Amino acid sequence: MISAFFIYSLRGELIVSKYVKLSVQKSMAEVFRIQVINNLDVRSPVLTLGSTTFHHIKTTGNLWLVSVSRSNADSAAIWEFLYKFSVLLKTYGLDSETELKDKFMTCYELLDIVLEEGVPMDTELTNVAAKMSIKPLMVPDTFHNSSDNTGSGSDRIIPRSGLLKRRSSSFISRSSTNEQQSNIPWRRGGIKYKKDEVFLNVMERISILVSKDGSILKSYVDGTVDVTTHLSGMPVCQFGLNDALSVTSPFQDYPVGTANKNAIPKAAAGSVMLEDCKFHQCVQLDKFQNDRTINFVPPDGNFELMKYIVRENLNLPFKVSPIVTVSRSSSIEYRITLKSLFPSKISAKDVQLRIPVPPETVKCQFSTSNGKCKFVPEESAIIWKFSKYQGLTENSLSATAFPVRDVQSSIDQWSKPPMSLNFDIMMFSNSGLVVRFLDILEKEKNYNMVKWIKYISKSGAYEVRY
Amino acid sequence: MSDQRIFSKYRAYEIRNELQQSHSKKHRASATKRKNALKKIVANITLGYSSEMALLFPEILQFWPIEDDFEVKRICHNFVAAMAATKSSHLEEALPLIIGDFKSGSEPLQVLALRTLSSVPITSYLDECLKSSYALLHSNSESEQLKKTAIYAVLNVIQMDSKNAFMVTQLFFQILNNYKERPSVRANALYALDQAQERNADPHSSFLSIETCIELLELLPQLNEWDSARLLDCLTGNYLPVAHSDAHLLIEKTLPQLQHVNTSVVLNAFKFVIYLTNYVDFLKDGLIKQLSGSVMSLLNKPPELEFLVLRNIILLLLGREKPIINVDVSYFFVEFADPIYIKDTKLEVLYLLAKDDNLPQILQELKEYATDIDIQMSRKAIRAVGNLAVKLEQSADDCVSLLLDLLDFEVEYIIQEIVSVFKNVLRRYPGKYAHCVSKLVCFIDSLQEPESRGAMIWIINQYLEHLPNYLELIKNFTDSFPDEALEVQFIILSSVVKLFTKIPMPATEKICIDVLKASTEKLDSPDLRDRAFMYWRLLSISQQQQRSSIDMEAIREIIDGTLPAIALNSSLDPQIVEELELNIGTIASIYLKPVAQVFRLNKTRRLARTAAFNCHREKLDIISDSSLTNSPASTGLIHQSLNRRDSSSPVKKMNDYDRPAETINQLKSKRKSSSPALSLSRKPSLLARRLSIRRPFP
Repeated sequence: MISAFFIYSLRGELIVSKYVKLSVQKSMAEVFRIQVINNLDVRSPVLTLGSTTFHHIKTTGNLWLVSVSRSNADSAAIWEFLYKFSVLLKTYGLDSETELKDKFMTCYELLDIVLEEGVPMDTELTNVAAKMSIKPLMVPDTFHNSSDNTGSGSDRIIPRSGLLKRRSSSFISRSSTNEQQSNIPWRRGGIKYKKDEVFLNVMERISILVSKDGSILKSYVDGTVDVTTHLSGMPVCQFGLNDALSVTSPFQDYPVGTANKNAIPKAAAGSVMLEDCKFHQCVQLDKFQNDRTINFVPPDGNFELMKYIVRENLNLPFKVSPIVTVSRSSSIEYRITLKSLFPSKISAKDVQLRIPVPPETVKCQFSTSNGKCKFVPEESAIIWKFSKYQGLTENSLSATAFPVRDVQSSIDQWSKPPMSLNFDIMMFSNSGLVVRFLDILEKEKNYNMVKWIKYISKSGAYEVRY
Repeated sequence: MSDQRIFSKYRAYEIRNELQQSHSKKHRASATKRKNALKKIVANITLGYSSEMALLFPEILQFWPIEDDFEVKRICHNFVAAMAATKSSHLEEALPLIIGDFKSGSEPLQVLALRTLSSVPITSYLDECLKSSYALLHSNSESEQLKKTAIYAVLNVIQMDSKNAFMVTQLFFQILNNYKERPSVRANALYALDQAQERNADPHSSFLSIETCIELLELLPQLNEWDSARLLDCLTGNYLPVAHSDAHLLIEKTLPQLQHVNTSVVLNAFKFVIYLTNYVDFLKDGLIKQLSGSVMSLLNKPPELEFLVLRNIILLLLGREKPIINVDVSYFFVEFADPIYIKDTKLEVLYLLAKDDNLPQILQELKEYATDIDIQMSRKAIRAVGNLAVKLEQSADDCVSLLLDLLDFEVEYIIQEIVSVFKNVLRRYPGKYAHCVSKLVCFIDSLQEPESRGAMIWIINQYLEHLPNYLELIKNFTDSFPDEALEVQFIILSSVVKLFTKIPMPATEKICIDVLKASTEKLDSPDLRDRAFMYWRLLSISQQQQRSSIDMEAIREIIDGTLPAIALNSSLDPQIVEELELNIGTIASIYLKPVAQVFRLNKTRRLARTAAFNCHREKLDIISDSSLTNSPASTGLIHQSLNRRDSSSPVKKMNDYDRPAETINQLKSKRKSSSPALSLSRKPSLLARRLSIRRPFP
């Protein structure tokens, strides 16, 4: 599948190279550098020369991960693998040029574990960590990233995942600690916690596109449910949402111990039509297919339980009403009102409206009812910012952009890129999705599980044309 | 460590010295030093200096037995693998050391040793590898990891040297059919079998029975994502449905996998289901909904995967008259932040999805893109509008009026693109849009590119009767004839000849003669000259010999005959579609090209014809679930509600979501101004004040 694997620095320096098949010539690394990295006009993430194909991605740490294949390989598997591998690199603190150069042998070790003759074997962090000689630097824990800003404070005291406690120093001692085998590939046997805890993180991104006349051309929410489990034994969990198609869950009451229900808007009290969901490998898919219950034996630690899309009955959090006119004196007038549509009890943070101006603009005048506003010439935009935005509040902005003189004609042709809005809202669900329950089906064991849940709504592409 | 940069070029003797220095003492400090030196070897091999590093083979051999650190072992094994191609004599010396590692009893080391053995194409290595792997695979107690490594090791061996291929495939069969074996090992044996088949010369044989197939599908819940993906991949083609009922059963069993988060699992499951639909007698509409839904939700993956999914959607739309997926156009509207390759592909999908009923929505979007900042994007959008006009006869008027609207933007590249596509529209509907020609001609001065110039000449020539000033317009081109691009010269040449045959009068004759002269005397292109001579001779025949069989009328027929109607070819050859549908999710599905054309190592896959094979797949009935009495009540309910959802809410308005605000902040009256120049001018004064506070004047 993968005949060779390369990692380059941003500028094209080869740092890690692994040749799986002898048929790949050593010059291939050079070919990729010339054809893709040094070529500014690349318009595709895949390149085929002769019968050699390069799939590549760029990591957040600006590394190029490249897979070389010599046959008609499964592209889906290769790109999925590259993304999973980039997460592993990050977890082991290798996601930058300097760090990778320093510890490149760790990267080879990772590759030896996840690939078998160029075929991806297992990329689940828990399993990889159990085989690695060094422990991961950080757990890609979404709770940690976002916990600093919530008012609830409960998720600040998350213990690090259990896999950090088990240290295996050298390979000789490791091979003797023969771990309990289990018949579930993503979870080892014999895991024990003093306190059983589950952290649920419902994260949604809402994308809409509003046309000039206010009709919504498209709107959807794509959400993920991230779970961190610290559970003993082999628990079988059952997870319930207010899914409109789920026949088993009754709709009337909220279960105990989940969300702060006041914070969730009314629309959520009903049910949500999940367009399509995708589940982590641990979920019993046939069970979902038959009666839409979500049963799973979770891997230890953090994982993404499910992804979903909702298109109907969304709670749109903001309304942007722009009036943009090009005046005769070759300036552009903006009058924009921004209104939050979520309940006044909750607030959004880092709200930022990006208002494009023509690239020839040299000066802007504006007045706002609230928030900070500035003109950023290098982005050709006015940025209107609020660090906190209360629900059901309306603010307005009036601005004038003055372009350089004598460019009247080019202003008429200005393509008016859409305004875009960014925001984060805690404990609000754009789709109205609510977690109803998370239970453990194992009856014989007296499980005393503590559950934490958090809802975050972010903006995806929230765009308004004018 | 600063003086010990690992990633830079070293000579072999430098590293050798370093190794020998640290060799003498056996405490910890020298061990790390030695390790660093060894790392430099790995780095230098990566940097491309492997021939220099090959000189250090003796040192590697020297350190191999005395080290017990795993990382050093890994370096040694990597080194041997990197030197495999050199056929160095030291490789033989390394063999006992590798075997030693294999017998050490430590699992990771055994894995490493086995992989190294299989990667060196020397008989002694390969024999040793086969021997060790057989032992592992035949025993029942070995760990899962070791068994999998052994499977891939022997696969690698037979791919390099096929003399043991038969024996190995038999072994794979044994593992695959061994019910007591762990699921993951069996799945990998299946994959290895498939790979081995791919390489050998015989045609693909389908070796899985329906029972094995069902049994394998039931293993899926116990497999991890990668094993599941490969298992589903291998089922396609290796199992042959012989009865409609078998195919239906397997579709039911595979459908749950469409909910998996891993794209590879979903696309392979998708491929298997599509494969099976060739062997059924009807399709349920619920199936189509589920297939569509699962593909659509993959569009939220990272851009590279989204790109792959979009390409596969194109394949599914192109492949069949009645597509097996049913998708809404709004999914494919371009987002501002999409990478360019996604934008391009989405445009293609929009074009394919366009029908008379959703066209207004699509045209509205295309208009937005046409005025996009990205020139390439805008050109493609305009081209798409033109192609839609050709594709949809009933809605051509809308497309044409949009094109005419866009002309008013008066941007050069937009005009050029519009003129180029308009030629196709005029050819498709002769005479229908004659009234637009006079408007197009107004923009004659903005045309720079050969394609648009050529199109313009053709348009003028074809619509002479609508253009009173046609002579002037043609002259416009003939004056610059020697400076035009070759392709435009060809078009001018044939146009003026056409013009003359159409309207034989002194003015057109002069133009014609001028151009013929210029092509034969002044310009150097032999092709152009030959063509000019050909025309010239043709014309002179009819002029001189009145009684010749070729008169003016016949020449007009030759030069200016009726053109065949154009149709855009938006479907693929059924044979190619058949093959590509067996390769969903692979590289070939991105390029939409037959596999053999790109990859010489892969075989062409074909659908096997069995009793259950469905020859007329366009005629496949799609029946609604409710008409099936045996379907469970719950799924019926699900699909009913899905149906309901489809019919609701055509276009939503932002105002529907509006609610009254509780707090309304009013604009502050004072206006602030912000311009880079102003903020700069303020800064020095601020700076001055600070400086003055810190350091008062003495």
